[in-house]
Amino acid sequence: MAMTTTGTVNEMIMSSVFTLTTPLSRRFGPRLGQLLSKRSGTPDQVIETPSFVTSTSRGVVPHLSRDHHRATKAIRWANVPFETFLEHNPPVPTLLTGANPMHNFLGFVPGQHLLSLCIRDPADGREMPPNGNKHTSAYCLRGVRKVSPENWRTYVEACQPDMVVAMYDQPFTDPPYSQKRLTKSIERTSAWLADLLLSLQSSQSSRHRPLVLVQMAGGTNIAARKAFSTNLTDILYGKEADAIAPLTCLDEGVFGYTFDLVPLRQSLDPTTPDSPTPTADPTLPDPVPSDVSTQSCVQTTQLIPFIQASLSSLPTTKIRVTHTARSPHEILRLIQDVGIDIFDAHWAQKAADVGVALDFQFPVPKHGATTRRNGKRDLGHNLYHSQYTHDLCWMASSFSKERPCTCLACSPFSPATRIEHSIVDHDSQDPIASNTQKPSFSRAYIHHLLHTHEMSAHSLLTMHNLTILDEFFSGIRSVLSTAEGKSFFVEVDRFVDEYDETLEVFDEARLLWREVDLARGKGRLAREKSKQTQSTLGTAIQG
Amino acid sequence: MQFEVLARCKTTRARVCRMKLAHGVTMLPTFMPVATQAAIKGLTAEQVDSLGVSLLLNNTYHLNLRPGLQVLNEAGGAHKFQGWQRNLLTDSGGFQLVSLSKFTTITEEGALFSSPFTGEPTMLTPEESILIQHTIGADIIMQLDDVVSSLTVGPRVEEAMERSVRWLDRCIARHEASGKTTTQNLFAIIQGGLDPVLRDKCLDEMTKRKDGVAGYAIGGLSGGEEKDIFWKIIKQCAEKLPEDRPRYSMGIGFAEDLLVCVALGVDMADCVFPTRTARFGVALTHGGPINLRLSKHAVDLNPIDPDCPCPTCKDGTSRAILHHTVTHETSAAHALTLHNITFQAQVMGRARTAIMEGTFPEYLLSFFKQYFGDNGYPEWCVNALRTVGVDLLREGGKVISGSGAKWEYAED
Ligand SMILES: [Zn+2]
Ligand SMILES: [Zn+2]
Repeated sequence: MAMTTTGTVNEMIMSSVFTLTTPLSRRFGPRLGQLLSKRSGTPDQVIETPSFVTSTSRGVVPHLSRDHHRATKAIRWANVPFETFLEHNPPVPTLLTGANPMHNFLGFVPGQHLLSLCIRDPADGREMPPNGNKHTSAYCLRGVRKVSPENWRTYVEACQPDMVVAMYDQPFTDPPYSQKRLTKSIERTSAWLADLLLSLQSSQSSRHRPLVLVQMAGGTNIAARKAFSTNLTDILYGKEADAIAPLTCLDEGVFGYTFDLVPLRQSLDPTTPDSPTPTADPTLPDPVPSDVSTQSCVQTTQLIPFIQASLSSLPTTKIRVTHTARSPHEILRLIQDVGIDIFDAHWAQKAADVGVALDFQFPVPKHGATTRRNGKRDLGHNLYHSQYTHDLCWMASSFSKERPCTCLACSPFSPATRIEHSIVDHDSQDPIASNTQKPSFSRAYIHHLLHTHEMSAHSLLTMHNLTILDEFFSGIRSVLSTAEGKSFFVEVDRFVDEYDETLEVFDEARLLWREVDLARGKGRLAREKSKQTQSTLGTAIQG
Repeated sequence: MQFEVLARCKTTRARVCRMKLAHGVTMLPTFMPVATQAAIKGLTAEQVDSLGVSLLLNNTYHLNLRPGLQVLNEAGGAHKFQGWQRNLLTDSGGFQLVSLSKFTTITEEGALFSSPFTGEPTMLTPEESILIQHTIGADIIMQLDDVVSSLTVGPRVEEAMERSVRWLDRCIARHEASGKTTTQNLFAIIQGGLDPVLRDKCLDEMTKRKDGVAGYAIGGLSGGEEKDIFWKIIKQCAEKLPEDRPRYSMGIGFAEDLLVCVALGVDMADCVFPTRTARFGVALTHGGPINLRLSKHAVDLNPIDPDCPCPTCKDGTSRAILHHTVTHETSAAHALTLHNITFQAQVMGRARTAIMEGTFPEYLLSFFKQYFGDNGYPEWCVNALRTVGVDLLREGGKVISGSGAKWEYAED
């Protein structure tokens, strides 16, 4: 059942595999799998699927120092949009030498963190200048930059990520797109994929060859999506075949398929906000921070036919990735009805930005207190709310009343070692505990940190939310593995019945975030303000 | 408190002391990072602990407003609330009252101000300040003093000094009546502005009350006064304060200020500077502060300081990635905060080692040479250290007047 991505081609260099343990004959429906990632000189890494990839901003996991992102076991795979590095030419990460250059530059550990590169931030749906036959437009602080297929393969070769999303033609001009535009998009994406595959194969210098993911083109046109998939599996002849030999078709060189949901949502509902334009006038009050994914009214069921169309003719064996699913409900439906293997953590990380501590579980442990008018339970706690002022409990109670969650916020440890700065310092450490578990940080403490604009709140919330998300996926896998997936459908229904999908608690948190920000008064730079309002991750640095 | 002098410098007045408080031992001289709101910017208590910091400062004024005493009480004190297991110091809240509230009026009873929540007139008395600090539960608590700006002149300075002495008596009485003297230690604050005569009077009065006082702070400085006056007051106070009590210089954080104060006999200091400057992209190094926002760091793949033991440098975090993320990502601020706190601890740690080994004057010479190099030594440092037998210009070197060198952070 195991299959290497490209048969004979990649075996010599690396043999990372994605293996499904559920029947391959099932094209759509929940699947269990295992991604075994190999990288020369580092231990093998195993990621059980369904699972998630952690989003980064400017190359780092927002709010986490390196010791924190390493201690957060939930972070197994980080996706790095490369575009911010285009501010410098040549991009600084391409100047690095030695093994694992991009991992080292960003502080990720090969063997512990799978690192994938893409060009654009999948959460950023802002309008962009049109792409060309030989370039895609990317965005960085210094403005729009053109990236050519040649640029992209040079960057990838220099950075040596574990995985790369081939350059693709995603229009970010005003939707809807014409048939002609979509045809062009398909042609370009295919050509650019071929270009990357060719260069990766002919590259002798690189000891390491990244796995290639392809973004599924075709927009919201079912026929176009199907045509793109057919393109991938068509056996090539003549000059085209020579160009990618020994591959016989593009799909042979592809490790998996990726689906960015932001452009799909924008296409289906043109009122979906894109990344808002930064407030030009710093004296104006901040707009409430928005989020492309949560504010769209596009339902998951509307997205599914397009994803299915892409997958209808492709091998079922390859890994399937989506970006910016907006809720656990959407994740569950995409697992149930499509069989998506990897999601990003964008929504959970964004929750940490606005002060929401996640507190939910799959399968639903028992019926809990309902807090919404619609009779549903919240997915988390808006820790800005005054109800938490005196709440000395740990963040997640639905998880377990007896045991806190395992993140460093809920299960902190006293340091294993402390830096000694002088020859008499050992004396000062004598009776102090080392490497022992400490009490959890309380909701009241984080409530206090949020209201006093302390950045530590977001560090604690990020570690916690990623860990809760990890538990969620672990729960999904255990339900899928125990009962052949039969009870999974029942559990999905129970989950949807139990937890509020309208994410009202997020909206309330955003409003309180705004209030606290206004109370804080003037004195913040417009740039910092705009950072807070963007759909991309992170909050402004507090001056 | 158990307080013991372990070693004295044979040239300067610097010393190494062991201060044992309810939450462990802190070796002096030391620098205290400031966790105003019960958190060091962006870090967790465990991270700060791992850096070798054993004494942290919380601000009473802020904690009294948020989370408030009721929450702190319910949590079992500020240590537990913020997960800090080492020693803690709180100020009296008086300084913030005066600097953050325009409408504070001082009466003999206490400081009268309008509540930031209700606007109602509220009185902070010396007794009340001690009571609040008892609830917070810090290992070291400060007396409420009558704070005047170091630039104030005239009879107000003398009045403030004398009132601070009277308020000390009330603080001592309240503290002793509380039965908390074994777990919490009251420090007095020497006032008297920039007038040596008033400082002397205050020193006389406050050292008379030594039995009720665990340590002494030197207050009313670092408010924009001439550096040559600053160090003279520090020197005068440190000389006159009892040998068997720790001496704490409030609001001091630049490396050169710290080392001059240590040479003059100071044991403890605190400042927001190293954590605040980190948020603006400045890394403190033994070669002087560097501003990572400057484009010259954009392609520099070296760490801030390859010899630094902080997590940021030990991990090889490059100046380039810090430049890429600084002021955009909070994690860059965290990385620099980890480094800057370690740098401060290192400056003081190396002083402890040098004093123990009898090489403190040499440490001063080598530190200043590396830190200021060709920029030239601040004249006031040269003057101050000469009075304790160390000549920074022994091997030549440039001197610049004013407060000191222009660092990278001043360039843009
Ligand atoms: Zn947690
Ligand atoms: Zn460092």
